[in-house]
This record gives sequence, structure tokens and C-alpha cells, in this order.
Amino acid sequence: MIALDTLALGDRTPRCVEEPAEAAAVAALLKSCSASGDAAVIVGGGTLQGIGNAPARYDRAIVMRRLDRIATYDPRDLTIGIEAGMTIAAVNARLAEERQFIPFDVPRPRDATVGGTLAAGWAGPRRATYGGLRDLVIGSTAALADGTLATAGGMVVKNVTGYDMSKLYVGSLGTLGAIVRANFKTLPRPAVQRLALAPLSLEIEERAAAALATVTIEPAAALVMRGFAGNTPRVRDEDVRLIVLFEGSEATVDRATRELRSHLGAAGIAQTRLYDGADAERAFQATIDATIEPLADRSVTYRARGLPTAARTRMDTACAHVERLGLDADAIADLRTGDVYVRVAGATRDGLETRLADADAALRRVLSHATLLAGEPALRARLDAWGPPPSTIATMRALKARFDPAGTLAPGRYVGGI
Amino acid sequence: MSIPVAATELGTRLVEALGADVALTQPEDLTVYSFDAYSEDRLPTAAVVPRDAREVGIAVRIARECGQPVVPRGAGTGLCGGAVPRNGGLVVSFARMNRLLELDARNKRARVQPGLINLDLSKAIASYGIFYAPDPASQKISTIGGNVGTNAGGPHCLSYGTTTNHILGIEYVDEAGEVHRTSLDDSGYDLTGVLVGSEGTLGIVTEIDVRLMTLPETVRVGLAAFGDVEAASEAVSAIIGAGIVPTALEIMDKLIVDAVEAHYHAGFPLGSGAVLLVEIAGAADDMDESEAVLARIAREHGALSWRTARDAAERDALWASRKGAAGAIGRIAPNYYIQDACVPRTKLPQVMHEIDRIARDHRLPVGNVFHAGDGNLHPLLIFDRRVPREVQAVVDAGTEILRTCIAMGGTISGEHGIGYEKRESLSLVFSPDDLAAMGRVRDVFDPARTFNPDKIFPSGAVCGEVKRAHVA
Repeated sequence: MIALDTLALGDRTPRCVEEPAEAAAVAALLKSCSASGDAAVIVGGGTLQGIGNAPARYDRAIVMRRLDRIATYDPRDLTIGIEAGMTIAAVNARLAEERQFIPFDVPRPRDATVGGTLAAGWAGPRRATYGGLRDLVIGSTAALADGTLATAGGMVVKNVTGYDMSKLYVGSLGTLGAIVRANFKTLPRPAVQRLALAPLSLEIEERAAAALATVTIEPAAALVMRGFAGNTPRVRDEDVRLIVLFEGSEATVDRATRELRSHLGAAGIAQTRLYDGADAERAFQATIDATIEPLADRSVTYRARGLPTAARTRMDTACAHVERLGLDADAIADLRTGDVYVRVAGATRDGLETRLADADAALRRVLSHATLLAGEPALRARLDAWGPPPSTIATMRALKARFDPAGTLAPGRYVGGI
Repeated sequence: MSIPVAATELGTRLVEALGADVALTQPEDLTVYSFDAYSEDRLPTAAVVPRDAREVGIAVRIARECGQPVVPRGAGTGLCGGAVPRNGGLVVSFARMNRLLELDARNKRARVQPGLINLDLSKAIASYGIFYAPDPASQKISTIGGNVGTNAGGPHCLSYGTTTNHILGIEYVDEAGEVHRTSLDDSGYDLTGVLVGSEGTLGIVTEIDVRLMTLPETVRVGLAAFGDVEAASEAVSAIIGAGIVPTALEIMDKLIVDAVEAHYHAGFPLGSGAVLLVEIAGAADDMDESEAVLARIAREHGALSWRTARDAAERDALWASRKGAAGAIGRIAPNYYIQDACVPRTKLPQVMHEIDRIARDHRLPVGNVFHAGDGNLHPLLIFDRRVPREVQAVVDAGTEILRTCIAMGGTISGEHGIGYEKRESLSLVFSPDDLAAMGRVRDVFDPARTFNPDKIFPSGAVCGEVKRAHVA
């Protein structure tokens, strides 16, 4: 049995917890909530609960972890149908047996679930190479607030049969329906994975980025990481480092590595440490884990999307603003997707708390599209997780009203108070 | 037939607001907006050829006030009647909104108007070493706006994905005539993803932000000849099953190869039962090994020959003839009906066998040219529309093919869309609850059903509908 207080969001704790094992049971629960006026929050592994505001009402938690089966998988089709509660690690393990993968690139894969990862709209670094999860989802079934189960898409890789409803549920944070099953394209696993790690200083960061841009083989991921002392291996005790992941055949990865080293060398970066296979995977996972890793009880983390060429400058500017307030900043700039992650921390919890509003305002000024991603719940509760809503908010509100007229699904948790 | 007052009012008001240069109301001017590549046509009440989103908004507002439907139109290459104004009303043509507005080559993004021709975009940006990946066979004439409407595919979707995977944001005009912009960078619901593939039923797209890709370092095209389509299909299933994803895997059967070769002389092996066209792209280091594996799998599945295009010119010639296949059939067939369905890839050999049987049962010649790697089928049923038996046989065979694909876990459209043609078949794939969820999206975007009514969703009176064949 799950303790109710572990399911709290902000200062809201549910009255009861449900653990349905079938899609139909999820739908029935939602129907009964809609009828009784209860508000329900769909819970996956809880790893990305830092996204979004605390719900305005929260009566029942519907925990999806018992929906943990692979619904269908014929590896020769390069497609898989998975129930929402299965953990990402379990999916990855099954796919690895067939030398396939899905680039989930999600923090804490042993806890994170398929449904939670999709609902949170998680979009990791390798999406620039392989497409994001929204692109790899080819079908879904969602339990809606009225108790119906709605399927869209299918098990085929090309499909223009009705609206692409899966896109609507992905990233909706469980406010339009509960994803009970998702179908994905899978990809053949690359023969070789290699992660290159190079220490940077602020002065040569720009040269390193330029050097990277001239490598003819596009890396699967390329990130600049500042701080996060506990999270990634380092070459020495440098604060800033370049992390480049290459994936492909041995010949391609070898050439890419040679080119990268030679370009970085020319830019004045002599040391590059290489990790292969499982070591590369671990180092990459550590980098991804950092995106939501709190610093004790004295940090909050933001994420912002933007242009790849601006990512590094945006990161540096954001860090400078945070540090000017006497706070610490750890940050990641994704050079391929444009994502920027900034973890703002105080020397003490109080230290952060007193400057939190200023830091939030400063970050939102320099990082357009910034949203809260993780951090100490009570501190997060003092901020609007989403910032100003997009210009299309009226349409989004209308969608919410049409799909969930009684406000059953996590009311107030989403963008613009949806 | 008397023309309703609202209809005449529509033309008058459009001309008043936008001028006779933008608003067309004379039947001789409207004929070109009355059809697409589907068989049925219907003259619109009026058409506009706007210059910008503001003019689109004005036109939409006037149409709505007159109670007239609005149908967007790209190049009119759609095969399912999506651009046909079934009940008259207003057609919006994007012939004037056809520019590349902004290019950010370093971030691999561009902003385009919906009337920009697909291939023209890739041509315009090639010198930067980048391209726009979705490549429907119609890419020489079809527009990116139309491609967004049907979430168009193409041979290279196998590794690059369909149109939806390459759209970053959309500007659209809503039913009140107001202009909105979506972006994948925004927080909130993925409105961009819902608009793509909605076939003009949710709003009128006026600008599109597209994702561009780096041109591969090396491209190689191989060609294998097989005794029949089933053998070629087995090879495709084996290639995918072996964990190789080429950039394209296309099959053409004998009927298609012979027609294409007579027209294009690209060097396809005449007389073989089927050819498999394989393209691999990527780092130069991998090409020899990848090709060797592909050739080995092809031979293991009965390939009679394997050869590689010698140079870019030969490669281009092979692709030009593949993309011109439907046109080449026009030279040898009085009429043809092209079907579009998709099945899981392991079902390919079985479904090809079934299609052959269905065609024989109905005494119709069938040609197959399809995106085998994606399991996306395009059987072409050849008939003569002057022969009533054949017209009925095409309708029956087409429906049987769709039902067969659904029974194998497939779906009724891989890339052409539902349009008018397949709307009644949608309920073969989806339950009333599934369709109700889609209906809610439509309720939000287009409560009055102004945009492209009578498309995608089944009509209320399913039983009373008589489905007619699409005559190309």
C-alpha cells in the first residue's frame, strides 16, 4: 500500500489511493470521480511530479504502476505497445534483448513509467537525432473523464486515419485523460555508443562549440554542463565540461571521435576522456539524471526550450543573473536541441527562499519559455510552474472544458490554471 | 437549381472586401477549384486567392457570416477528395502564399507559407547542406500546406518520419477569422501536433515552421530484382527484422516496372516480377558494409540480381521514375484507382498475397508500387470507367483490401488521408468512443463545422451512402 503523504503535491494530499490493474478500471474510476465531483491525479513513477503546479483539488490518486505489461511486441515490426505503468528501465531491458531501443532519455528510469514520461512531455537530448517521444508514439489509448476509453493511431508506422490524438495526450500532464497504453516505433540499437568528455573553461567554451559544429558526423547528443559536481564524471575538477555522445557503427564513431579530438585540440582543449558501451550509457544517464536532481532542500530547477545556437549564451546569461543574486547556479545547455536547464540553489533553504521571487523573475526575463521542472515542493509551490501562458491558451482551456467538464483531472495543475 | 441568397451574398461580399483580384465568383474562374485527384467534383460558390493571413481571416469571417463552408486547397493533388467543396461554399487557394519567409540554416529551421511547393523548399536551401525530409511522390507540385493537411509521407519517411515529425509550429486562422500561432517551444497542449493531419477541418493554416535536416554525407541506392512481389516483401521484412533501417525501401511490381521503364528508361530490369529499391544514407565509412548486408539478405530471399546506382544521376533517375510511377500507369491504363493502406511490416508478404487474390477474384489487373519498409501499400486497380462491371468491381475490391489490412492489424490510410473518399470507412478502424474524442477536438476548433465539412468523419446516414469509385 502506498502511503498517502508520499503522493502529496504541494500542500495537497489525496484522501485515497487507487491502483487499477486494467484500462477499463481506470476508465471506471474516472467516471465515478466525474460523477461524485472528486478530483483525481494520475500517478506514474512520481519522478517528474515537479512539473506543474499543485492541483487546486486532489481527492484521489490513481497510481498506474499495476498496468505494467507489454501489450504487444513483435521485434520484426520495430513497433511495441506498452501499458502506461511499465517502468522505462523494464521497457529498455526488454528492447535491449532484441537489440532495439527507444530514446526515452528520462531521469531515474527505474522509477519513471511510460505513461508518466509521456504525460510529462519529457523530451530528452537525443530527440535531435532520433525524434522525440511525441514523434515515436504511433498510437495510444486514453481513459477519459467520462469513463470512455479512446484509442487513436495504431500499430503501423504511417497513419493518417483521423486526428493524431496521441499528440494531445502527450505533454498534457494527465489533464485531458489518463494514458493507459502507448504504441511506439522502436529503433535498432547502434553498434557502438561512445561518450566524450572534455573540460572547458568559460573562455574556450565558444571555441569548443565552434569546433563541435565542424565535426562532419552529427553526435547523438551534445551538451555543455556547468556545475552539478555530484552528477557526472570529470576529467579533473573543472566546473564546465562538454559532453558529446556518438552512436553508430564502429567505423563512424571512430572517425567522429578522431575529428572531435582534433578539432578540440586545435581549440586548445587537450584532454578528452572517452567512455565506451555501458560506461558511456552510465555517464549519459548521470547527465540526464542531473536535470531533475535537487540539491538537498535548497534548490529549484527550470527548463527552457529555444534555438540550439542560442543555448550556451542563454545558459551563461541565466547563470550570471542567478549568481548576481547571491545564489548558486548549475546548468546544462543542450547544443543540439536548444534546451537549457538551470538549477538555482541557496547556501541554505532560507537563503533561497528569501531570493526566490527575484530569481524566478530574473530567469523568466532571460529564459523565454522557462518552466519549473524540479525542486523542493514547498518552494516550488510559491511559484507559478509555467510562467505566462502561450497566446493559444483560450483554445487550450476550451479543450480542457470539452474533455473534462467537471474538472476531474488534476484541476489547476496545468498551464494557465487548467 | 436556384442559388441560395447566402451564396450569392458570399461572392458579393468577398469581392467588396478583398477585390476581384483576390475573390473569384465566375463559374469559368471557379472550375479549377472544383476538383482534386479524386473523382468527384463540385463547383464552389466562390474562391479566394489571398496574399496573407489577414485576407484569409476576412474571407473566413465573411463565409461564416454567410453560413458557407470553407475548404482550403494546396495544389489539388490529394487523392481522397479533401480539397473538393462537397457542398459548395468558399475555396481558399494558396497559390499566392507560396514563399519561403525565413531561413535559419544554423538552427535548421524555416518559416514558409502553405503554398510553397515541397521540392522548391529543398532546392532553395540545398546550398546550405540541408533539406526538408518529407518527400511525397507529388513533391514537384504538391504544397507544404497540403502536406501538413494530410500529414504526407513519401519514400524517405522510413527513416526520417512523416510530415508531422518535421513541423515545429503553425500559424492558422480560426473560425472567427482570427490568427493564432502554435509552437513546440510553448508550454501547454501540443496544438501543432493536432493540427497536422487534420485535413483542413480545424482551421486554415497560413504559415508553417519546418524542421530541416543535414544532407547525408553519402547516399547509395541499390536495386534488386525478384521473381514476384511476395519474395521482395519477404526480403523487406527480413531487412527490417535484421535491425537495418535504410532511408527508403520501395517495391514496384512487374506491371509498374514495365510501365515506368517504357516512360523513363531509368534502367529497371524489365520482365522481373518485382524490384526492390533500397536507399541507404549516412557516413561514408558504413556504406560498403551496409550494402553488403542488404545484398546478402536480398539474395537469401531469392533476388535474381543486385546492382547499385553508379552515380547521382543514375540515383536521381531511379527516384524520378519511382515517384512518377502513378503517372506512367496513366499511359497504359484507361483508369486506375490507387489505394492507400498500412500494415505492420511483418504482414507484408501475406497482405500482398491477399491483394493479388482479391484483384483476381474481381477480374481486375493490379499494379503495386509502395513504401514497403513502412508497410504502406498502394495497390493500383486498373479499370475502364465506361464498363459498369469494372467500376463496381473496383469499389468492391478496394473495400475488401481495406478490410483485409484492418484484419491484419493495419489501417486505412498511411499517408493520403481520409478526405471524402474514406470517411465512411473510418468506423471500420475506430469505435464510436474513439471518434467522439476526435469530435471533441473539432467542437473546440470548429464548433459550427465551417472548415472542410463532410471530410474525415463518417456521415450520420452511413447505410444510405453509396460509395463511388475514385477515377484517376
